[in-house]
Amino acid sequence: MLQSIYFLNLLLPLFYITAFSIYSYDFYNEKKVVNNSKRIVLFITLLLHTFYLVSRMIEYNHPPITNKFEIFSIIAFSIGFSYFILELLTDIRGTGAFIILFSLVFQIISSIFIEHTYNVPEVLRNRLLGLHVISALLGYSGITISAVYGVLYMLLYKNLKANKFGLIFDRLPNLEILEKLSFYSVVIGFILITFAIVIGIIWLPSAFPNFSYSDPKLVGTFIVWLIYGVGIVSRFLGNLYGKKAILYSILGFCVAILSLIITNTLAKTFHSFY
Amino acid sequence: MNLVGISINHKTSPLSLRETVHLNRDEIVEFIPRLKDGLFSEGVIISTCNRTEIFGFPSVLSIDPSIITEKLQEFKPGIILKPDHYSRYFSCGAVKHLFSVASGIDSLIIGDSQILGQVKEAFEISEDLNFAGSVLRRIFDTTIRVGKRSIKETSIGEGAVTVSYAAVQVVEKIFANLEKKSALVIGAGETGELAAIHLRDKGVGKIAISNRTVERAEKLAEKVNGGIVSFNSLAEQIHNFDIIISATSSENLIISFDTVKSALKKRRGTPVVMMDIAVPRDIDPDVKKIDNVFYHDMDSLKIIVDQNLQKRKDQIPSVEKIILEEMVGFFGWYNTLDVVPTIKTMRAFFEEIRHDELEKIKHKVSEEDYIKIEDMTRRMIGRLLHNPTVKLREFAETGANINDVSTNTMILKELFNLDHTPVNGNESIKENKKEDPLEEE
Repeated sequence: MLQSIYFLNLLLPLFYITAFSIYSYDFYNEKKVVNNSKRIVLFITLLLHTFYLVSRMIEYNHPPITNKFEIFSIIAFSIGFSYFILELLTDIRGTGAFIILFSLVFQIISSIFIEHTYNVPEVLRNRLLGLHVISALLGYSGITISAVYGVLYMLLYKNLKANKFGLIFDRLPNLEILEKLSFYSVVIGFILITFAIVIGIIWLPSAFPNFSYSDPKLVGTFIVWLIYGVGIVSRFLGNLYGKKAILYSILGFCVAILSLIITNTLAKTFHSFY
Repeated sequence: MNLVGISINHKTSPLSLRETVHLNRDEIVEFIPRLKDGLFSEGVIISTCNRTEIFGFPSVLSIDPSIITEKLQEFKPGIILKPDHYSRYFSCGAVKHLFSVASGIDSLIIGDSQILGQVKEAFEISEDLNFAGSVLRRIFDTTIRVGKRSIKETSIGEGAVTVSYAAVQVVEKIFANLEKKSALVIGAGETGELAAIHLRDKGVGKIAISNRTVERAEKLAEKVNGGIVSFNSLAEQIHNFDIIISATSSENLIISFDTVKSALKKRRGTPVVMMDIAVPRDIDPDVKKIDNVFYHDMDSLKIIVDQNLQKRKDQIPSVEKIILEEMVGFFGWYNTLDVVPTIKTMRAFFEEIRHDELEKIKHKVSEEDYIKIEDMTRRMIGRLLHNPTVKLREFAETGANINDVSTNTMILKELFNLDHTPVNGNESIKENKKEDPLEEE
C-alpha cells in the first residue's frame, strides 16, 4: 500500500494538470469532444484522489489532517469535488479551469512537501476531529468557489459595461448564472462550516477542557460565519442581489482568508496543531 | 460529368436585377418544363432573394450556358442579363459551387442558415416534377450533407451577424431565464420589429411596444403577442422592464439619464439592459455610468457583428475542407458507375460459357442427369462469381478509392477479355477456346 501511496502522490498533480489543461483548452477553443471528455478526466482524478486519501488513512491509521500538506491535499480534493458536484447539478461546464487551478496548486504543494509519518499527536487521531476538519475544509472550498464565481461575475460585468466582447464574453455563462453559482456555492459552504462548528463545539470541551470562547480562532470563525449568514438571509429576503451580492461574497471570502492567516500565524490559539 | 449551370448572385449582379430574376415556387414549377424542352434532361432551380441558380444535365451532348439565360429572359421578359451578370459552371466546378452554396460560404452573409433549407426545397420541386435522376439525387444528397456538416462541424453559422440579433445576444449574456423577463421595444419601424421578433423567438416572457403612432405599435404588438406602452408615459413605465430596446427615428433623446436613474431606484438596483439601436441615439449614453445598467448602442453592437463575421470568415477553410472531402467521395462514387455494366458483362460471359458447355453434353446424358448438371453448374458459377460481384458492387456503392476500382475493373476486363465480348459473349468464348491450351490437349 505504501508503494501505491507514493505513486499516487506523484500521479495526482499530473492528473490535475491534465484536467486543468483540458478545461482550459475547452475554455479557449470550445470543442465538443473535449467538452464531454473533460468531466470524465476530472471524475477519474477525484476517484484517484479519494483512493489516495483513504489509503493514507488506512496505512497511517489517522485521518489525513495531521500536517499542513495533508490538509492541502484535502483542500485540493474538496475544491475539485465541490466543483464537480456543482457542474453535475447545473451542467455549466465553462468555468472549471478557474476552479481546478486552485486544486492543482494545492495538490502540487502537497505532493512536494508532504510527510509520510505514522507518529502524530493522539488528539489528531480523533474521528470527530477528522469530520470537523473535513467538513470545515469542504465549507471553505464552497466559499472559495463562490468567490471565484464572484470574480468571474465582476470580470464579465466590467466587460459588458466597457463593450468588450472577447473571450470572457464568449465563454463565460451569463451574469445571472454566475450569480446563482456563486450563491449555491456559498450556501453549501455555509452549511458545511456550520456543521464543522457544531462538531467543534461538541468535541471541544472533551479535547481541550481549558479552552476559551474568546479564542481568536473561534472569534474569527464566528465573524466569518456571521458575515455569510447575514448575506444568505439578506439574499433570501430579497435585499441582496446582483453586483452587491457578489461584492459581499468576495468581501466575506477576504475576511475568511484574513481570519485564517491571522489565527494560524499571528494569534495564539489552542487550535494550532502543526 | 456534363453538369452545367449559371449563378446570378450578389457577387455578379446588383440587387435590382436579382430581385427581377428571382423565381418564386410557382414560377419555378412553370419554368422547369421549358428547361426540359430540349435543354436539360434533369436539373434544379434554386432561387432566393440573393441568388438564382439554374443547373442541369443537358439533353444534348453539351450546351452553351448562355442558352439558359436566353430561356430565362424568354420566361421573364424585360430582364437584361449580360455575361457579367452571371457565373457559369461546368462539371466538377458546378458540383463544387453547389456545395459552397449549401454550406453558406457563398452567401451574402457568410454562414447564412436559411440557404440549406432553400436548396433542399429546390431539389424537392425537381423531384416532384420528375426532373431529377439518380446522379442529380446523389449530388443533392451530398450537397445537403455538406450543408449539415458545415453547421455541425464548424462554427460557420454561429454568432449574431445583425445588429438586432447582437442586441439579443448581449441580453442573453446578462439574463439566464428570459421567460421571466419583460422587454420594451420603443419604435415600431423595421429595426424595432426585427428586435421584437428576436425577443419573442428567444422566449422573453412579456413584450411591450411603444411608438408615437399607436396604430403601428398595436400592429407590432399583435404580431409578437405583446402589450402597448403609451409613448408619452415612457418615463413612468420603464422601471417595469428588464430589457429596453429603442429604435425610433427621433431627432432628440427620448430617455434621459435622470429618468433611468430614478427607474433604477424603483427597481432597487435590479439590472436593466438598454439597447439603443437608433441613429441618432434615443437614450442618453451617460446611463452606462449607472450601476447595473447595461447600455449598448449601434457602435458597440457593431463590434459584436464585425467580430462574428470575422469568426465566420475564419471558418471558411474548415468548410472548404468538408467540401473537398465530399467532392472526393462524390466523384469516387461517380467514377465507379461503369462498374455495374462490367459486372453485368462478366456474369453474362460466364453464363454463356455454361450454356455452351451444357449444350455440348445435352444429348450425351440422360434428362435426369442433365438437370442435375445444369443445376450444379449454375450453383458453381454463382459461387465462383459471388465474391467478385459483391466486391465490385461494394466499390460502386461506397464510392471507394477510384484507383482501386479502375484497376480491379481493368484486370477483370483484361483477364476475361470482356472489352471485346459481344452481349452474348460468343465471340470471346470462341477466342478463348482457340487460345486455351488445355482445350487443345
